[in-house]
Amino acid sequence: MSDEIRQDAPQAEGDARQAGDGEGRQLTNAELELLADKMGGSGGEVKRIGYLSLIGRRFVRQRSAMVGLVILVLLVLMAIFGPHVTPFTYTDPDFTSLNVPPNATHWFGTDGGGFDLFACVVHGLGRSLVIGVIYSVLTTVIAAVVGTSIAYVRGVPEKIGMWFLDMLLIIPSFLLVAMVVRAASGTQGWVTLIVGLTAFGWIGYARTLRTMALSLRERDYVRAAKYMGVSPFKTIVRHLIPNLGSILILDTVLGVIGGINSETAYSFLGLGIKAPDTSLGYLLSQGSSAMLSAPWIVLIPSAVLIVLCVSMQLIGDGLRDAIDPYSRAAGSVEDEAEQEEAPEPAGN
Amino acid sequence: MARFVGYIAKRVASYIVMIFVATSLTYFLASAFMSPRSNYESRTPRPPQESIEASLDATNLNDKTPILQRYQRWLGGIVTRWDWGQTPTGVSVNEEMSSRIGASVELMSLATIISIVVGVSLGVYTAQRQYQWQDRFLGGMASLFMVIPTVVLAILIVFAAIEINQAAGSRLFYVTGLSSYEGGNPLMTFLDFLQHILLPTVVLTIISSVGYHLGQRTYLLDEMHADYVRTARAKGLTKKQAIRKHALRASLIPTAVSVAFSIAGIFTGAVMTEKIFAIHGLGEYFINCINNNNIHGAVAVAAFSGACTLVGALLADLFAAALDPRIKMS
Repeated sequence: MSDEIRQDAPQAEGDARQAGDGEGRQLTNAELELLADKMGGSGGEVKRIGYLSLIGRRFVRQRSAMVGLVILVLLVLMAIFGPHVTPFTYTDPDFTSLNVPPNATHWFGTDGGGFDLFACVVHGLGRSLVIGVIYSVLTTVIAAVVGTSIAYVRGVPEKIGMWFLDMLLIIPSFLLVAMVVRAASGTQGWVTLIVGLTAFGWIGYARTLRTMALSLRERDYVRAAKYMGVSPFKTIVRHLIPNLGSILILDTVLGVIGGINSETAYSFLGLGIKAPDTSLGYLLSQGSSAMLSAPWIVLIPSAVLIVLCVSMQLIGDGLRDAIDPYSRAAGSVEDEAEQEEAPEPAGN
Repeated sequence: MARFVGYIAKRVASYIVMIFVATSLTYFLASAFMSPRSNYESRTPRPPQESIEASLDATNLNDKTPILQRYQRWLGGIVTRWDWGQTPTGVSVNEEMSSRIGASVELMSLATIISIVVGVSLGVYTAQRQYQWQDRFLGGMASLFMVIPTVVLAILIVFAAIEINQAAGSRLFYVTGLSSYEGGNPLMTFLDFLQHILLPTVVLTIISSVGYHLGQRTYLLDEMHADYVRTARAKGLTKKQAIRKHALRASLIPTAVSVAFSIAGIFTGAVMTEKIFAIHGLGEYFINCINNNNIHGAVAVAAFSGACTLVGALLADLFAAALDPRIKMS
C-alpha cells in the first residue's frame, strides 16, 4: 500500500506541474496537496516549504519588488566597483576641467573644484548605503528590546517607560541629533553620524513595537515561560522578539530609507559628512549654490537618491505583502486572491 | 463637563512636566556636546585666558563651572524673568528669537493646516475608491513623496520654479526670503507674501500630507468594514451616508492623535526649507546656533519645538474628545 502511494504521489506532483506550466504559473503548495489527496496519496510526498522560503516565494512573485531588488543590487555593485572603473577619485580634483557637463571623460561631469562627480557619487552612494543599513539594524535592535521590555514589565514600570518615550519624542530628534553630530569631522565623521542618528532614532519605533507586543504578552507561551521560571530577559529575547520577527525585518528594510534621508539632511546642512569625505547630501549642498550654471551637480545626486529610496520602498512593500497577507487594510478574501494573480501596480 | 475639564487639566499638567524634563535634558545634552570655549580659543590673536573666563562666566557658558550650577542659573533666569540666556557673544537669546519666531510660525501653521486638510481629504477620497485608478495613482504618488529626501524634493521644486520663471520671463515664484516688496500697497504686499511663501509651503505640505493621506485611508478602510457600518447600511443608509455619518467620525480619531507627532516632522522640515529658501526663521537660527556653539539659543529653539508639539497634542486631545464619546464618559 505504502509503495503504491510512493509511486503515485510523484506522478501526481508531476501532473500538477505540467498542468501548472500549461497555465503559465506554478501551482501553490495547497493545490499540490489537494491533487495528491485526490490521487489517493497521503500527501507525504508533497514538497513542504519552510516559512522563509514561503516568504521568498511570495516576494519573488511580485514584479515591482523584484524590480526594486534588481535596482538595489545594481546600485550596490555601482557603489562597490564604481571607484575602480573610473580613473578619478573623489579626493583628487582634475584642474584641467572645472565645471564641465557630463562627457566621455567625466561621465557625470565635474564640479566647480574640478572633482569628478562620478567618483563622488559612487563614494557618496556607498556612504549612504552603509549609514542607512547600519543605522537601520541598530535602531531596530534597540527599539525591539526596549519596546518589548516596556510591554512585558506591565504596571508602573510600563507607565514610566511610556512616559519617558513620549517625553523623548516631544522635542524633534532631528534637533537633538544635530547637537550630537556637529562635532563630526574628517573621514571618521560618518561613524559619529551613525552613532548620533542611532542614539535618537529608535524612540518612535520602540513606541510602535510596544503597542504590537501588547497582544503578544498575553499569549500562553509567554505565561508558560514566566511560570516555568524563565528570566524576563530570556522571555523577551526568546519569545517576544522572535514573534515580532517579520515586522522587524520589514522595519529594518524601510528604516534604511530613513537613515539615508537623515544622512542627506545633515550633510546638506553641513552638520553630517564634511570635506574631505563626501556624501550625496554634501554633494547636494555644494551643487545647490550653482544650480543655474551647473545643474548636473544637483540633479545627478538627486536622481541617485530618488532611485535608491524608491528601490528600497519597492522592496519593503513587496516584503510587507509577502510577510503579512492582511497588510492591505481592506483585506477581504476575494481581494487577496485577486492580488495574488494580478501584477502589482508600480510604486504601490 | 466637569470630568472633561478635569481630563484636559490633567493632560496639560502632564505636558508641562514633560516639556520641562525634555528641555532640561536638551540643556544637558547641548552643554555636553557644544563648547562655546572653542569660539574664543580659536580667535586670532587668542584672547588672554582671564578675559575668556570672564566672558564665559558672564554668559553662563563656562564649562569649568559645575553643570548643575549653570543649570540652576539658567533655569532661574527663565522661571523668574523669562530670560532664555545669552549667546556666546553676549546677545540676548530672547531678542534673537523674537525677530525670527514670526516667520517660522507663519510657515509652519500654514503648512500644518493645509497638509491636514489635503491629506485627510485625499485619504477619504482614496479609501472610498480602493484599488481603483485614482487610489492607485494617488497612493503611488504618496509613497514616492514619502521616500524622497526633503532636501531633494525642495531642490527639485526650486529648480522647477526657476525654470518656470525663465520660461515665463518674469518672476512668478520667489525662492528666497519671505518678502521683497517695499511699497505701501497692502494688496501688493499680500501678493508678494504669497509669491514667497508658496514654494516652501508646498514642500512642507507635500512631506507632511503624505502621512495623513496614507494614515487616514487605512483608518477609514478599517472602519468601513466594522459591524456598526454594516448595521447603518442595513438600516437603509447609502454607502456614502454610512461612511460620512459613522465611519468617518471614528476614523478621524487616530488621525487627530497622529497630528501631534507629525508636528515634530513639520519642524524638521521647516529647518530644511528655511535653509533652502533662505527664510530667516527659527530653523535657520537653530543651524546657526549649532555652528556657533550657541547652547542657550539651541535649547530655546528645541523648547519652542517641544511646545509646538504639545500644543498640537493638546488640540488633538480636544478634537479626539469631541469626536469620541468614550473620553467624555469615563
